Amino acid sequence: MIRFKNVSFHYGGEQGTGEGVDNIDLTIGTGEVVVLCGPSGCGKTTLTRLINGLAPHFYPGELEGEVWVDSLCVSKASLTEISRLVGSVFQNPKSQFFNTDTTGELVFGCENFGLERDEIKRRLDKTVGDMRLDALLGRNIFELSGGEKQQIACGSVYTARPEVFVLDEPSSNLDKKAITRLHETIRRIKESGKTIVISEHRLYYLMDLADRFVYLDDGYIVRSFVPDELKKLPDTELASLGLRCIDLHSLMRNPLIGEIPHGGKPVLETVDLSCNRGSSQILDIDRMSFPANSIIAMIGDNGCGKSTLTESLCGVIPSGGSIAFDGVYLTDKERAKRSFLVMQDVNRQLFSDSVIEEVMLNASVSRERAEQVLDSLGLGEQLDRHPASLSGGQKQRVAIASAVCAGKEILFYDEPTSGLDRGGMERFAAILRRMQDTVTSVIITHDPELILQCCTHILHVENGRILGFYPLNDEGAARMRWYFLSESEESTSKRREKLGMFGKVLQYAGQWKKYTYIAAALMIVGALCSAVPYLGVYTLIDRVLAGEPVNLSAAMPAVVMVLVFGVLYAITYTVGLQFSHSAAYHTLENLRISLQEKLEKQPLGNVQDLGTGAVKKLFGDDIESIELMLAHVIPEGVANLAVPAVILLVLIAVDWQMALLTVILLGFGFSASRQMYTVGMDRMGSYFAASKRLNNTIIEYVDGMEVVRVFNREGESGKHFEESVNGYRDFALAWYKVCWPWMALYGSLFSNVVLYSLPFGALMVVMGYMPLGRYVLALCLSFAIGPMLMRTLALIGAIPQVNFKIQALEKTLDRPPLKCGAAEFEGTDHSVRFKEVRFAYKSDEVLKGISFTAPEGKMTALVGESGSGKSTIARLLSHYYDVSAGEITIGGQSLRDMTLDALNREVAYVSQELFLFNKSILENIRVGNPDASDEEVREAAKRAQCDDFILRLPQGYDTPAGLAGSRLSGGQRQRIAFARVLLKDAPIIVLDEATAFIDPENEQKMNEAIADIISNKTVLVIAHKLSSIVSADKIIVLRKGKIAAEGTHEELLGTSEDYRRLWAASEESRGWVLKGGKNT
Amino acid sequence: MDISLYGDDSKALVHFDPRTKLFIFLACGVTSMYTYSGLYILLFTGAVCAVLALSGKPWLALKAFFAFSVALYIKEAVDHTGSSAPAVVLIVSVLTTLILYSLPTILSIVLIVQTTRISQFLSALSAMHLPVNAVIPIAMLFRFIPTVQDEWNGIRKAMAFRGISVNFSSVLRHPWRTIEYVLVPLLFSTIGVMEELAAAALARGMDIDVKRSSYEEVRLHAADYIVMSIFAALASAIVILVSSKGAAGI
Repeated sequence: MIRFKNVSFHYGGEQGTGEGVDNIDLTIGTGEVVVLCGPSGCGKTTLTRLINGLAPHFYPGELEGEVWVDSLCVSKASLTEISRLVGSVFQNPKSQFFNTDTTGELVFGCENFGLERDEIKRRLDKTVGDMRLDALLGRNIFELSGGEKQQIACGSVYTARPEVFVLDEPSSNLDKKAITRLHETIRRIKESGKTIVISEHRLYYLMDLADRFVYLDDGYIVRSFVPDELKKLPDTELASLGLRCIDLHSLMRNPLIGEIPHGGKPVLETVDLSCNRGSSQILDIDRMSFPANSIIAMIGDNGCGKSTLTESLCGVIPSGGSIAFDGVYLTDKERAKRSFLVMQDVNRQLFSDSVIEEVMLNASVSRERAEQVLDSLGLGEQLDRHPASLSGGQKQRVAIASAVCAGKEILFYDEPTSGLDRGGMERFAAILRRMQDTVTSVIITHDPELILQCCTHILHVENGRILGFYPLNDEGAARMRWYFLSESEESTSKRREKLGMFGKVLQYAGQWKKYTYIAAALMIVGALCSAVPYLGVYTLIDRVLAGEPVNLSAAMPAVVMVLVFGVLYAITYTVGLQFSHSAAYHTLENLRISLQEKLEKQPLGNVQDLGTGAVKKLFGDDIESIELMLAHVIPEGVANLAVPAVILLVLIAVDWQMALLTVILLGFGFSASRQMYTVGMDRMGSYFAASKRLNNTIIEYVDGMEVVRVFNREGESGKHFEESVNGYRDFALAWYKVCWPWMALYGSLFSNVVLYSLPFGALMVVMGYMPLGRYVLALCLSFAIGPMLMRTLALIGAIPQVNFKIQALEKTLDRPPLKCGAAEFEGTDHSVRFKEVRFAYKSDEVLKGISFTAPEGKMTALVGESGSGKSTIARLLSHYYDVSAGEITIGGQSLRDMTLDALNREVAYVSQELFLFNKSILENIRVGNPDASDEEVREAAKRAQCDDFILRLPQGYDTPAGLAGSRLSGGQRQRIAFARVLLKDAPIIVLDEATAFIDPENEQKMNEAIADIISNKTVLVIAHKLSSIVSADKIIVLRKGKIAAEGTHEELLGTSEDYRRLWAASEESRGWVLKGGKNT
Repeated sequence: MDISLYGDDSKALVHFDPRTKLFIFLACGVTSMYTYSGLYILLFTGAVCAVLALSGKPWLALKAFFAFSVALYIKEAVDHTGSSAPAVVLIVSVLTTLILYSLPTILSIVLIVQTTRISQFLSALSAMHLPVNAVIPIAMLFRFIPTVQDEWNGIRKAMAFRGISVNFSSVLRHPWRTIEYVLVPLLFSTIGVMEELAAAALARGMDIDVKRSSYEEVRLHAADYIVMSIFAALASAIVILVSSKGAAGI
């Protein structure tokens, strides 16, 4: 129970957060959930601070009256006493954790209270279980996103189990999934009978949880609502109260949003954008372009790469690929000059001590113009104030003004409306709309209200890829709303790996890692052996210098030594290479197998999207490049670097001054190669992007050659080809251009170490600092270093390439796998039900809320124009893709709950194309049911009316498909597909345009086969020729991804305009076919 | 440069108590004040590296030990070569000596910071019966450094948009203005963060009078006693040897 007894509080000193509260009388019962709402600065936060005692104990001020929590007078008790009773979650996620690791933070409160370890452990387990924090345990808090930090803060308070929970704008940094989780957390706390006080601007997610909404204005409690009262308020009244929307369903697009710009010259374009952080690739974006004068909302879950994308586009972090502003490709620095990012923590971007100086900093504008800009943003009165003394919203506008004055073309905003009330949000939206003519705005946001107030486009990012880019018209608004409304609370947080390049490759080696190590050890021995002969040479020279005669017997030991170590070198090196190759190829095997497993779990659609060319490249070239790394770079590189190091050490013993000189020279050489590596890596992304484009163009060119010739389009296709070739040439040349000076530099330094040490040593000898013998030894040793370093050089160049390929490889396969359960089919019957199914293919939403039922044992037909989504429905039922929203069930069981095998046993999908494996016809039919006997296969073939034409083939059922393939007509191939389905005997049949290849001579047989297939089955038919489905039990008419009508043939002819049109068109073409006498 | 202050001992073979690590730091501090050389210094640094390796940083320990051995080797080589240019000898021996005497201490700091979580550290400090008033500032320091790092990263990006560059030439040309550009946003944002942080910590009972408990078991095990006695023995051996034979004795 919380009681405010006539409380007034006013901050003393410089607390810039609101003016305080007056005459508060409020009682909050135990177990009650109370939401404090009202415009910014109304005193919500102050009220929460009065409950957790931070006012007046931490934020000093004048307090009248008393605040009681249970039997504790908060205004008098100490903070330590209050902290046992009241737990608080604050607004700013980055400033409320004290530990740097998540687990330590979750138990922080409990530790402070001195709880027993077992009890802490129990509570931690419960918190982790209830709030699904498993993925976040044991991590560095600094690498978490804002939403994840906020979850940890909630979890920490939850673990401490106070009586009263005080949450101050907990949702302001959260994405929709995190809000769902927050909602769930609050529900759990409420269920456990605790009191909760939430100060919040976003109200919609609290409607079913709150018992009471207390409305404050200007420090006074003005009104109080129960949820039902609030729900009844019209939007205009909410607006006048300054309250945000209470139901996302009711959100409408603001009519003030002007015409949606499209076409024209894009203001920003990217091609093959990639960005690597640490050792993994974050972004993978093929193509993207922003129309000029648009306001783009960038949406997506926390941690999906929105910030990385923004910073790459702005050029403040390095990225690969090409980014153009206004059609001109720009470097990172140039982009930073022409764009601006309004950060979430705007304090970081204010550098001067007055507002007017701030906006004129490094901007070539006149003072008049600057004042004019500030005036238009409502800052005309604040010209001389210190930016730090302004409110958060004003600071934000100062930052915007500075960007406008500096003439920036694209402005990015990072969650600009988190923590803003309705008025603030609407004012911000109005500013964006006003600036639309001069700049393009891109907003990272989780705020659907803001999006509908001002945005013209939606950019949906998922896992570093573009899930869709669509205009925010009415359909776009519906799709966006669906994203925010869909219920999902799974956490996608990924632990950031910190692996070096070598570690990354070695992790694939697994058990073969030790072979690589053995190889490296052997090669080090080998390299050492290769250095010994130089010592032999030295002993001979030394003898000569000493004036002793060199005869055979005296030279013998040295000669033998040279020989022996030469042989040893050869042996160890060969054996080492054997080991390294054995490790490498076994690793490649592991890698290809794991890749294949990953590929199998992918939605079929994704695999098709990748394209055969890309998959082939993945399994072939990209993986092969790892061989170079494992078999050569690691062992040989290590050996060839380790041995020069050893020789250098010996050289130090011989003469440290010569060694010093050598080290300095090598140091220069290495810094040059390092420099080459960095500049090379920067351009590597663009270079590979160009080579990928070239590859794709070549494939396209060859594949399309037939069409090109037939339609005489050589010029056009050739031009495209030429562009790609030129692009590749330009990028490759650019890459070499930045690299070659460094290459030349280190090449000359490494290979000619002796050139520099020779005169120096001679000088030392002449000056008497060094005996001649040592000089010769030092020279011999220097000679030994050269070849090894040169060998390393050849490998160094390959490292960035290999590294890049591995990261690209990992990124390609980190698409979410198909969502499959582990259950067998457990449905009650075989009726198929679609519930509000939505499906988007890239930027196009193909299905927009489809709901229907296909009853068991009945035939349901889907009709509609091409592109209306018929085939998509069929593919979704076969689980080629996951639905974007909604659910598909068979007999009440969701597709996602069953294994693919189980689903495959229930559903047989007959598509328009038949793929024949390179086996006999018999085996090709047996694909339908691998356990079937030859007899059963033949029986099925007979039922599918295939028997007669198969027997006419040269070897009957044993004819290889390759040979037979060319002899089979479309109709015959179709009937082979039917035979497969008959053999499979699944209870649900999907026929996708199964009658497309019908011709008069086949028609009879086809119809018989179909009749056989569909008897007593649940059937879903997709048909263009409506005559074939006249007798269907239910016909569903689709139009542009929605269901236009539903009913039987007769009913629809009467009621549906769409169906009548389709029917007329179908009849007409049928008539034409009959008259023409042959198939089209 | 990324100085990670995140203590991670998940890969540790032996979980040493923070007090042991503090003891090693102390031992390193004491011995670095004495001049000694040869085997002893190698042995001592070897021991520090061994503890570091056991605490989950084997590669770092190996690299550090290798670097140390090379420095020692160079110093020996320089010392034993008679004739050479005196200026070069001076520079090289100053550099190597610097490495030789600072490396163990640096390693012991790395050991404390990178393999100990704040919660473990707090528990250990309170187990040593340090008053809360002494513990909190130390813990705050741990938390403050990454905050500044984080803010600085953001500010550097903000500077890129405003065409402000902080590099050697700008510091030379406009020293005051450059400092202002760095400090103004850094101070305002870190002060904001630290104030809110203090409020959050207090609201969660940071300065409560009860003895803190710990989720992590922080207790001195046999391994801790062994390591501590090894270091005590090594440090006292060095101190005794040096004092008995005189500074240049060994």
